Amino acid sequence: MILALVAGIGVPIAAFGGALGQGKAAAAALDGIARQPEAAGKIQTAMIIGLALIESLVIYALLIFFLLLGRLPATSQILSLIK
Amino acid sequence: MAMLVAAVLALVSILSTRRLQKIPASRLQNLLELSVSALNNYTVSIIGHGGEKYTPFIGTLFIYILFMNLLGLIPALKSPTSNLTITASLAIVVFIYYNYAGIRTTGIKAWFKHLLGEPIWLCWLMFPIHVIGELARPLSLAIRLYGNIFGEETVIAILAAMSLVIIPHVIAVPYQLPMMLFGVFTAFVQALVFSSLTAIYIGLAAAGHEEH
Repeated sequence: MILALVAGIGVPIAAFGGALGQGKAAAAALDGIARQPEAAGKIQTAMIIGLALIESLVIYALLIFFLLLGRLPATSQILSLIK
Repeated sequence: MAMLVAAVLALVSILSTRRLQKIPASRLQNLLELSVSALNNYTVSIIGHGGEKYTPFIGTLFIYILFMNLLGLIPALKSPTSNLTITASLAIVVFIYYNYAGIRTTGIKAWFKHLLGEPIWLCWLMFPIHVIGELARPLSLAIRLYGNIFGEETVIAILAAMSLVIIPHVIAVPYQLPMMLFGVFTAFVQALVFSSLTAIYIGLAAAGHEEH
């Protein structure tokens, strides 16, 4: 039961940290576009890459969640259904 | 499945470059020229001057990963990239290639010296840190692509299983449609991130030392 609790609390913490980081990145990108609208294309590309890099840390936590989910008694059958 | 995608892409490329004309007469050649020039501009904008020789690798990587990701959104199929084996093998190829590009451009001594770090009396500390950092790059590339595509697929599968059934086995309300639209966006972004990170690593390894 503790395993279920821990598995459920990991991803929200990672999502919280990831959301803070991505918010800062998007805010900086919007500032840059507001200062120089001609550079909007380059700034947008860099912003998308930065957001994907920050998001990958949240995805690592999601992977641990899936691994733990396979060890919980009832959900291993659900996962085998999906695969 | 991954080899099927590779074979289909190779077949399309070979068939469309059979009769190249200086002013493109067919729409397929036009489309291909458009995509090749866009990829070339993108690669050169990241790597710098000598970037043209890396465009085939990075362009192929981008198109290949994009098509493999999009394959999973077709209802009966599964993405090849939702398997850790395939993404890990792509990451290993990228790792070997950018180290090889670095060694070919600047020589083995410069590559090793870069790993040792700047103040030479700190090399006993910097060497393990740099090695771990270098090894973390293909690891993060593989897990990022795998986690994104696998998570996307799992969410779509769970939403589809939760759909409201109107007539059993015939009609159901498709709850998974918004996630599939988001999945198209994710496929594109993940392919872009993989290939631009590869370009950045090649740029750091190969072109970074030419200014001296």
